Amino acid sequence: MNQRLHRDPATITHGSAALLHLRDLCSSLTYATLLTDDGFEVTSLGGADIATARMASMASSMQALGDAVTRELRIGAADYIIIASASGYVIQLRVPGQQLVLSALFDADETVGKALSSARLAIAEMAGGLGSAGTAK
Amino acid sequence: MAEHVILFTGPMGAGKTTAIQSLSEIEVVATEAVNSDRITADKPTTTVAFDYGEITLDDDDKVRLYGAPGQRRFDFMWTILRERAVGMVLLVNNDAADPLASLTEFLGEFGDLHARGGIVVGVTRSDLAPVPTLDDYAACIAAARPEMMIPVFTLDAREPSQMRTALMSLILNVESTAASRDPAFAQ
Repeated sequence: MNQRLHRDPATITHGSAALLHLRDLCSSLTYATLLTDDGFEVTSLGGADIATARMASMASSMQALGDAVTRELRIGAADYIIIASASGYVIQLRVPGQQLVLSALFDADETVGKALSSARLAIAEMAGGLGSAGTAK
Repeated sequence: MAEHVILFTGPMGAGKTTAIQSLSEIEVVATEAVNSDRITADKPTTTVAFDYGEITLDDDDKVRLYGAPGQRRFDFMWTILRERAVGMVLLVNNDAADPLASLTEFLGEFGDLHARGGIVVGVTRSDLAPVPTLDDYAACIAAARPEMMIPVFTLDAREPSQMRTALMSLILNVESTAASRDPAFAQ
């Protein structure tokens, strides 16, 4: 495997497929990116007017801050992070068993519950497809 | 009690997280992620948001220590973290590919902190790479920012006494700058 996880072909292939699956599940998905824990963009969907590499870095910081808060409060690992605004919301989840994070933007027409459950399905599919590929060596 | 916010900057692998761990009296709040790019820097983890620690100096000065991520892709954190900072410890690892270029880059990025309170430069890992020398660093600073007086130390980020010496040097500068602006501060 390429030492740079964000350039690993298998990770990109499975990640891209998962983002497409998520869009099929939720038409309200306007943008999604898969990133490494340390903030490199692996693949993105939508977001033509978004600086996707920068968003990947910001999502990495958010994920780490969420982990720091749950660690400080001793409530276990962060399961997901939601950032809500009047016109939509961002949901972030770590891909189980991988050093990867999904960050997805949904418009306000979607329910949080459906978006979250769809994102969980997508990352579960991704995790199954990747096996141990989505971890840095 | 006076409070100072000091920002630790420098390239990835310079020892910012280690330095804050060496200095802090509290358990450091860390935001480490597995480093997936071992080609750029061969270290297991990297800071992706900030490190935070605290130290009390002379029972009178509380210093809040913030460590910034070293990679430019996290420069939005640089913007956030610099807002409250009154001084900077700039760490540069001497075994990097081009440490003087890193020095110039970070001085250019955070040079305004010199006017706010001060900057010190700490050269780490010089046991692994003897050059550039401290004179080279001084010459580089003089060329890049001739208007600034910036002390340069060789440091082992793992050694609390060394880090404390560098930090105290910076705090003296910060307090002297504050006193020159507001004489009441010195009393």
